[in-house]
Amino acid sequence: MINLALYKREMKGSVKVLLIFAAIVTLYVTIIISMYDPEMVETLDSFYDIMPEVMAAVGMSAGSTSLIGFMISYLYGFILLVFPMLFCILRGNGLVAKYVDRGSMVTLLAAPVKRRTIAMTQLSVMLSGIVLLVLYITGLEVVAARVSFPGELAVPELLKLNTALLCLHLFIGSICFFASCAFSDTKYSIAVGAGIPALTYVLQMLANTGEKAEKVKYFTFFTLFDAAGVVEGERAAIFGAAVLFMGAVLLFGSAIGVFCKKDMHI
Amino acid sequence: MGVISIQNLTRDYGLGKGIFDVSFEVERGEIFGFLGPNGAGKTTTIRHLMGFIRPRSGECRINEMDCWKKHDEIQKQLGYIPGEISFFEDMSGREFLKFAADYRKLDRDNRMQEMLDRFELDPKGKIKKMSKGMKQKLGIAAAFMHDPDILILDEPTSGLDPLMQNRFIELIAEEKKRGKTVLLSSHMFEEVERTCDRIGIIRNGKLVNVDFVEKLRERHMHTYTVMLDTEEKAKAFAKDFEGSRDGVKVTVSAKQSLETIFMDYYGGGQND
Repeated sequence: MINLALYKREMKGSVKVLLIFAAIVTLYVTIIISMYDPEMVETLDSFYDIMPEVMAAVGMSAGSTSLIGFMISYLYGFILLVFPMLFCILRGNGLVAKYVDRGSMVTLLAAPVKRRTIAMTQLSVMLSGIVLLVLYITGLEVVAARVSFPGELAVPELLKLNTALLCLHLFIGSICFFASCAFSDTKYSIAVGAGIPALTYVLQMLANTGEKAEKVKYFTFFTLFDAAGVVEGERAAIFGAAVLFMGAVLLFGSAIGVFCKKDMHI
Repeated sequence: MGVISIQNLTRDYGLGKGIFDVSFEVERGEIFGFLGPNGAGKTTTIRHLMGFIRPRSGECRINEMDCWKKHDEIQKQLGYIPGEISFFEDMSGREFLKFAADYRKLDRDNRMQEMLDRFELDPKGKIKKMSKGMKQKLGIAAAFMHDPDILILDEPTSGLDPLMQNRFIELIAEEKKRGKTVLLSSHMFEEVERTCDRIGIIRNGKLVNVDFVEKLRERHMHTYTVMLDTEEKAKAFAKDFEGSRDGVKVTVSAKQSLETIFMDYYGGGQND
């Protein structure tokens, strides 16, 4: 189903990128979790009172008193959306389009390995990276919360939340991977694979800022990721995450189909 | 049916670019030279054989298997040197060869070391830092290490120095003796003349001629008989010009090089 030699090589490439993002995320997550205390929340809320648009744009809202509510406000609006997204963009493009563009795909195709196997291997690398990153984030959050505020973080709630986060990033990853398989030129693969997620995130920021721009939320898939709703167990929020997951399955499947059929001028 | 068989293969890229109704076969144990100027369609033809692109009309088969549908089966017995070598630049030569062997699921008992010795390649350095010639040698090692029965070589000696070009020609001759089938695309007339049994000449995407090297040469050989004043002079003349002497008559033949023959086929054309 997958080629182990290729998987190993690509995971080596992923590890370097993963380490960088893990380091960035560690920095933010530990600092923000350690900042949690009811008084500090008041300070942050006072920021919100001063500049509500700016705070709302990056997904930070006032009035969260529980630790997980605090984390949703200050981590799940920007940091945990943007950094894994960057990882998806980087690896998505690097796994297929870059090889076709540079011609090194020849090495992979001029061997007794089916195209489907090549695509499935690269897909597995993509999935492994995303899952590892979300797992690491989850572990990190649990540890950081336990060290600073033992007993404050409800782990089952966090798991629900991060499952939804995983669905979101799988969907973003599937956009990047599909673009990588569909275009033989990195120019276009990056334009689509990075452009769509980045643009929709900007729309999301816009939608967050205020009532006038609120309608914009219907044009961004980030709306389907409703962190607070998932923690509350709201049906709509869980449905949103499920839609993201289904979308990811569909796009990953199409990406493999496209890769198997396309002409490669390499 | 030949080991490599191309039937009425057409791929039109528009504006006269592409390949049009190309058909030829390469028999088992034969070395087939594929000659043509840049942009004539050699690489496009080879991409079809490798299963990189799907034929729009016509078909190509290797060992009677469809090159598009069965590309992975075909590749088991095929070695390929691409026209433009582009390996994973982040790897060292040694890492790349090891990866290629693992990727193909080869065991340790392969011809990699033999190839490295033959072409005096030290694959320690990063591929990114390698010269064109070194990358080419790496490509040769990767193409030959699994000892394939069929070889598709797209300008395999580009970037090699004359000594290494010679070694490569020797390698091809040995492989032919071992019964291998070779499709060799080239600009190097000498290389083709020395190694190939038959030659196909492609121009503007159309195969203009397929013939045996000897036939091509014969057809373009001009013979002259000259009379010299004395037998002494005739002897000297015959010696200098490699002619045959009969009394004061000497017969010499001017062999056109394949290059000249080649020029006849596509010289003066509007190829570009």
